[in-house]
Amino acid sequence: MISQELEYLAPVQLSEALAALDRYGDKAKLLAGGMSLMPMMNLALVEPEVIISLNHLAGLDQIQEDGAVYRLGAMVRHHQLAESEAIRRHFPLLADAAAGIGDVQVRHRGTLGGSIAHADPAADYLTVMVALGARFKVESAGGKRTIEAGDFFLDIMTTKLEASELLVEVEIPKLPAGARSAYLRLATVEGSFPLANAAAVQGGGSTRIAVGGVTPKPFLVSTTSANSPDGGLPDDVPQAVAAACRDIAGPDADYRRALAQVCVQRVVARLM
Amino acid sequence: MKYVGQSVGGLRDSQLVAGKGTFVDDIMPPGLTHLAVLRSPYAHARIRSIDTSRAEKAPGVLYVITGQEIKDNTNPIPENYDPIPMGAKRVYWYALCIDRARYVGEAVAGVVAEDRHSAYEALKLIEVDYEQLQPVTDPEEALKPGSPLVEPAWGDNVFISRDFIVGNPDQAFAEAEGTVKGVVQSNRITGTPIEPRGCLASFDPYEPMLTFWGSTQDPHPLRVFLAEILRVPENTVHVIQPNVGGGFGLKQPTFQEEPLVAYLAIKLGRPVKWIEERYENFQTGGHARDTRFYYEAAFKKDGTVTGLKLRVIADIGAPSGLCGWGMSFVTWYTLPTFYKVPNVEMRLRSVATNKCPWNSYRGYGKDAASFVMERVMDHISKATGVERTAIRFNNFLQPDAFPCPRPSGAILDSGNYPGALRKLLDHVKPDEFAREQESERKKGRYLGLGISMEMTPEGASMPGSVIVGGYDGTTVRVTPSGDVMVLTGVTSPGSGNETAMAQIAADALGCEISRVRVIQGDTDKCPWGLGNYSSRSVIMGGSATHQAATAVREKMFDIASRMLRAFPEELVAEGGRIFVAKDGERAVTIDAVARQAYRHPHGEHMEEIEPALEATRHFRISNVYHQPEKQGRFSSYPTWPYAAVACVVEVDRQTGFVKVLRYCIVHDSGKIINPLLADANLHGGITQGIGSALYEQIVYDEFGQIRTSTFMDYSIPTAVEVPKFELLHQETPSPFTPLGTKGVGESGVGGPLNALCSAIENALPDLQLHLTKLPLKPNAVWAAIQQAEGARS
Repeated sequence: MISQELEYLAPVQLSEALAALDRYGDKAKLLAGGMSLMPMMNLALVEPEVIISLNHLAGLDQIQEDGAVYRLGAMVRHHQLAESEAIRRHFPLLADAAAGIGDVQVRHRGTLGGSIAHADPAADYLTVMVALGARFKVESAGGKRTIEAGDFFLDIMTTKLEASELLVEVEIPKLPAGARSAYLRLATVEGSFPLANAAAVQGGGSTRIAVGGVTPKPFLVSTTSANSPDGGLPDDVPQAVAAACRDIAGPDADYRRALAQVCVQRVVARLM
Repeated sequence: MKYVGQSVGGLRDSQLVAGKGTFVDDIMPPGLTHLAVLRSPYAHARIRSIDTSRAEKAPGVLYVITGQEIKDNTNPIPENYDPIPMGAKRVYWYALCIDRARYVGEAVAGVVAEDRHSAYEALKLIEVDYEQLQPVTDPEEALKPGSPLVEPAWGDNVFISRDFIVGNPDQAFAEAEGTVKGVVQSNRITGTPIEPRGCLASFDPYEPMLTFWGSTQDPHPLRVFLAEILRVPENTVHVIQPNVGGGFGLKQPTFQEEPLVAYLAIKLGRPVKWIEERYENFQTGGHARDTRFYYEAAFKKDGTVTGLKLRVIADIGAPSGLCGWGMSFVTWYTLPTFYKVPNVEMRLRSVATNKCPWNSYRGYGKDAASFVMERVMDHISKATGVERTAIRFNNFLQPDAFPCPRPSGAILDSGNYPGALRKLLDHVKPDEFAREQESERKKGRYLGLGISMEMTPEGASMPGSVIVGGYDGTTVRVTPSGDVMVLTGVTSPGSGNETAMAQIAADALGCEISRVRVIQGDTDKCPWGLGNYSSRSVIMGGSATHQAATAVREKMFDIASRMLRAFPEELVAEGGRIFVAKDGERAVTIDAVARQAYRHPHGEHMEEIEPALEATRHFRISNVYHQPEKQGRFSSYPTWPYAAVACVVEVDRQTGFVKVLRYCIVHDSGKIINPLLADANLHGGITQGIGSALYEQIVYDEFGQIRTSTFMDYSIPTAVEVPKFELLHQETPSPFTPLGTKGVGESGVGGPLNALCSAIENALPDLQLHLTKLPLKPNAVWAAIQQAEGARS
């Protein structure tokens, strides 16, 4: 139950949204699809004084090809990604990840930018973005900057975004010709957050595998080694995964380490 | 019979599928106000004082209420049934805590405001001075001397203590050819109806009349309780049950918010509504099944069980007027389920803790009884090497054993357990499965076949209870136009029993089902009845409908016999016509008979016959014994449905994920009125059973804080996790109901618990797993696999 009074802003221009964000800073929360924010407000885990809805901004819901990259507006909804022929052709792992989020209703509300900015460690997009080497276009009233996906995520629900900044666009470089990609989620029931997930991209002589859900932020393992003769992983990959999982603690630490290895094996197997 | 036994589509389906049902929250009388409840943030705390002054001044707030006012003006919430015959203790539970909160979420104060948001916002302004007390969070710690006490007046934390010894268990163990021992644990779960609880009350001081709309399973008993709690005459309370979005038992008892809303509506002279938030439902709606079983079994080499010792420890949470604690009694009462077992020692300790009280939930403890007994049989199978179904065949009560008195006092009405298991095996073909299993294993897929039995005694009838009784009432009325109204005391929380009532009435009257309308859930319209629980609606309400409709038909035959100049015994009713069996041309319509009954009361066909066509019957089931002093036993369940189940799972050995591929059940609930709806109930029951076996778990930390208050933390299965169902029926009619019905509403929920354990074990025979703890979440299955692999290497 959201019981407190709050100010609700529904700007139609990006500049208005940025000005409002500049004015209210930490007191404000940006509302994209609301699939995480609304439950958190219902449970009073966050109690913003101001809500700035991004749902009326023009132009942030586009999927566009632009030379060597694809540009995805921050307000692109999951179902758009899941159903876009261009995404399915160029970045099938992203379409797969989008198609597995929540349920039909969630996929029609939830957005790419919202999920990335919220940075739940188990969220499907985080690993996909890291594996694809995406770049996040960020704007504030004071200016613009670009942050690499690999640098963007800092900790559980913590990113490099400043309170005055808005994630506007995701830029994904096209994969080299003949590249393969895959995405895998291990979730207890359909639509629940995955316990672990992994995204893999192979092409141009290297393999990039991102793993999420087991550590506070996704981690990336890349290798230029050839696969072992039986088609399995090159030896350096499991070692790198183990190193990345070294600090996992808590009652299920061993299980999460094991899931990370399994996810990596299986996502790579899907590349074959 | 034309309709009974047929898959007639649900009469209310199109309304509900179209989203056009009316639920409590859809009802908006003029002047409506809203209640929000302040809940204890602590598992155990003394309430030193409450300052409501700031909240009272908040915008939109009309009234703030605390426990003292409730104590001064209302009575405690009555128990659903008398705890004393069950060896339980009593508590006095009010609509608000008086001076102590005993679990996180217990209602401490209430705010009524013009709108819901203002009411919730004002909760933040109520200042409660709590003195935190040591919480009791582990039932076994709670039994130790010196433990903090949930109810200091009791002197200990034991809510129910009940033991029995049959035969000579010690001797059986001394002479045994083999023994096993262990502990199994079923998890704490809850029912999660899609519509949480909610109610609305409106008071007319001039009538005077309190109108109460509740998302409840039993309007008539609720009326009794509201009248008693509020100290008003029962005939000035009108309880209406609109559509209910699932109950599963949670909406059976009277909970704190119901009398609170009613009291406030009278006090304020305006309608007051309360609609529960999902997190409130997880915190306070009531939990179930959290039980540890310490078992020892003695047996012969061939697996024949000669002795059983069971210590049952149930973590029932804080004692309350919710009727969930009775589930621990029923677990104990249902044991040792299907099996002969000549020497039994059974000790039950139901232990109070500072957690949400147990509340009635589908299965009502029978699920846990089936789980432990089936785990014991599997353990004996492993110890003796006697194949798991052979063990069961060796120990089953046989079909000639009925009615069969049991050590707990239970009397099983009828059944054919070996028949059900044999039919299951004929369907599943374990040999064929074993070949598939072998070939798939070579490809790295681990398939397992699980087997279990499930027992679900139904039609609960507790002594001295307003709510839990072995009877119910129906009025059948043929209107002056020949249309039929069936008014029942049983209700439907969305389970479809109204369709069964219409089928039974149409057959007994000989009319088309399209002429029948069923009315339920209104204390001013329907005859006294106890509502919906314990799969009783068709057992009790269906039998009452059959009796009332039969009485009306007999009267119609009297009238028709005069119209047709025939004897009543010569007549048959079918398709809306009453005719001479040997001469179908000599016929009158039911409509014509109704005209006589209502419009020609002084005519030639009505001499000495009472006008109108209406009968009310209250059917009372036998096989219930409430007078131990005269009858030598206490038996509260008249019918005993059961099932043999098998499931096939695929186990992901690397991750512990379990996928249920097939679920087969041979189910016996006696005569089935409507196979379609019976199957639909089984779908729901089995799915809830699978959910509780694989995914669901209410978690508390050591401070008594609940860690699972949302569906993010408490996963329930979706349509994707639901396997392919293969539902087979075996009909062993109950000798105690006119149509042979036994009840199907709870069936299906208990089988998955052992069946899934057994299937996972069967998938990985090299590991010789023995799973003992639910739920079988991926991390738990993975840990069991790791442990077994570690032990092997």
